[in-house]
Amino acid sequence: MVVCLKQVPMVSELPWDPATGTLRRELAEGMMNPACRAALEAALRIREAEGGEITAITMGPPMAEEVLREAIALGADRGVLLTDRKMAGSDTSVTSFTLARAIEKICPQFDLVLCGFATCDSETAQVGPQLAEELDVPGVGYVDEIAVSGQTVRMQRLSDNFLETLEMDLPGLITVTTGVYIPRHVPLGGLQAAFDTADIVTLDTASLGLDSERIGVKGSATKILNVTSPAAGKKNIVLTGTPKRIVEQLFERFDDKIGGAIGKDLKQDK
Amino acid sequence: MKHKVVRKAVRMFAETELGPIAHDIDRDARFPWEVVEKMRPLHFFGLQAPKAFGGAEMDSISYAITIEEISRVSAAVGLCLTVHNSVGIYPIERFGTEEQKRRFLPAMTRGERIGAFCLTEANAGSDAGGVETLAVRDGKDFVINGTKIFVTNGGICGTSLIFAITDPQNPQRSAGVFVVERDTPGFTVGEIEDLCGMRANPVSSLFLEECRVPETNLLGRPGDGLKIGLVTLDTGRLGIAAQALGLAQAAFEDAVRYSKERQQFRKPISSFQTIQNYLADMATEISAARLLLYRACALKDSGKLFSAEAAMAKLFCSATATRVTNLAVQIHGGYGYSKEYDVERYFRDAKVTEIYEGTSEVQRMVIARDVLAQRT
Repeated sequence: MVVCLKQVPMVSELPWDPATGTLRRELAEGMMNPACRAALEAALRIREAEGGEITAITMGPPMAEEVLREAIALGADRGVLLTDRKMAGSDTSVTSFTLARAIEKICPQFDLVLCGFATCDSETAQVGPQLAEELDVPGVGYVDEIAVSGQTVRMQRLSDNFLETLEMDLPGLITVTTGVYIPRHVPLGGLQAAFDTADIVTLDTASLGLDSERIGVKGSATKILNVTSPAAGKKNIVLTGTPKRIVEQLFERFDDKIGGAIGKDLKQDK
Repeated sequence: MKHKVVRKAVRMFAETELGPIAHDIDRDARFPWEVVEKMRPLHFFGLQAPKAFGGAEMDSISYAITIEEISRVSAAVGLCLTVHNSVGIYPIERFGTEEQKRRFLPAMTRGERIGAFCLTEANAGSDAGGVETLAVRDGKDFVINGTKIFVTNGGICGTSLIFAITDPQNPQRSAGVFVVERDTPGFTVGEIEDLCGMRANPVSSLFLEECRVPETNLLGRPGDGLKIGLVTLDTGRLGIAAQALGLAQAAFEDAVRYSKERQQFRKPISSFQTIQNYLADMATEISAARLLLYRACALKDSGKLFSAEAAMAKLFCSATATRVTNLAVQIHGGYGYSKEYDVERYFRDAKVTEIYEGTSEVQRMVIARDVLAQRT
């Protein structure tokens, strides 16, 4: 199995610059993206039931090694770090391309690739499905539960309030939600060993044999022009008068919102 | 990088597993066995013990960070861990024979038997030579009689290290440390003490009445007791310093958050210079305390003498904890004096860090002895 991990900024500890409405990323502490953590948990549980090996892979700056060591502490058999300045600025498509070439190089015989359904820093949910395309294997997204039986996986996912049960032949790719696979805590002995004795395989553009025009910011078709936070306009309004009058005012001011909530066009009803 | 990841991993554990109950276990003076259950497989009960005996073999800075992060959420649980690891397991690991390590350590590192260190008596504490608990040789056994008080982990201990003298005429030279397991006949746990802070830790008296243990339960030789005690306490002080630091950090974070939220005179109180001065002092002292502690840990790991540095770290971290928690209450005003806010608990918990595992006065004795020995 291959588990793709991403190191994301720990937003809870990250100063927010109110002047520009952006995160001060330079002060960010990294952490393993929560959905990736769930994907790793899924891999660990599959291994407990079915055996096999887990390779954790991440693309990012050298600091991203942290999440690989953490994955090894949790039980991954090895960690692969894709890092190179030329890979910086990759959009989701190029990220999937790079990950796919690395997986083909280091784990050509993989049965299953597991990803988080999305990352909490960009929320595109694109890398998983694109990676399945790049690897030319079937892929299923937003999976809550996985059961492996031989070369077949059966999956459940909640989609628009319908519980879907799907089957897929391996090799394949699954992206995992955070609902069912509640991650285990990191064992401290494992963490010491992961740092003191485990080796991380580091690969760059050259060792992957990639064309530097095809990757990173150069290879990316999409560009992020600007990031802003949606300004939440808050205002206190005090309604006065008799209870009847207050309710009338509520409907006058907010008929569209109240109507939306109960599924009625209140303007028409008037 | 390792130490950062250790901090994050322990913080995540502490905030998810201990955070929701930290207030209640203090209020109810309840030891959280359900969290212990979760800590066991993660090696919290064998932080620095050798892997061969089920430990995590952490370096001392990782150890300090672990105690710091647990204590940041619940100092009473941090106390259980530091006592168990540094003055419960460590003396057996350091002074025990291979046979003793095999007998006692695995159950301790699995967290099945929680450790306690029993020096203090009604007439002995800072003065370790004043111990009156008596161990009398009888064939291949020792028969122990005496009463230990203020035993941290007393109510939950499975394996306790009992300081006893073997010759009442020569207490200083005949002190020994005996491993006594809870199920030994004649060993009983007294009532749980009703203390100001650290209330989730069941501190109690222990009674030894005609308590018979084989001579193979003696660590080292008769007379090694004082030496074992001193060496053990050096390590123990790193743990208490880390615990105090975690408390200070928790109080500081709450104070910063509250000062930004609390409005007086139509401004957040963090905009007033007086409050800013408090916060600046708190931040500075915490940073200094942390570096002093990590330096002592690094000295220990490099095999150098660290007694004086451990005493300095313990002295300074505990003083920082009492000052910072006091200021955190002050910044919270009346709310800080209410049990609704965690700073009230931190304030109560902090004081004892200046008292146990060597009072601040004893730390100064240790430091002064070192200073006077080095300088002519």
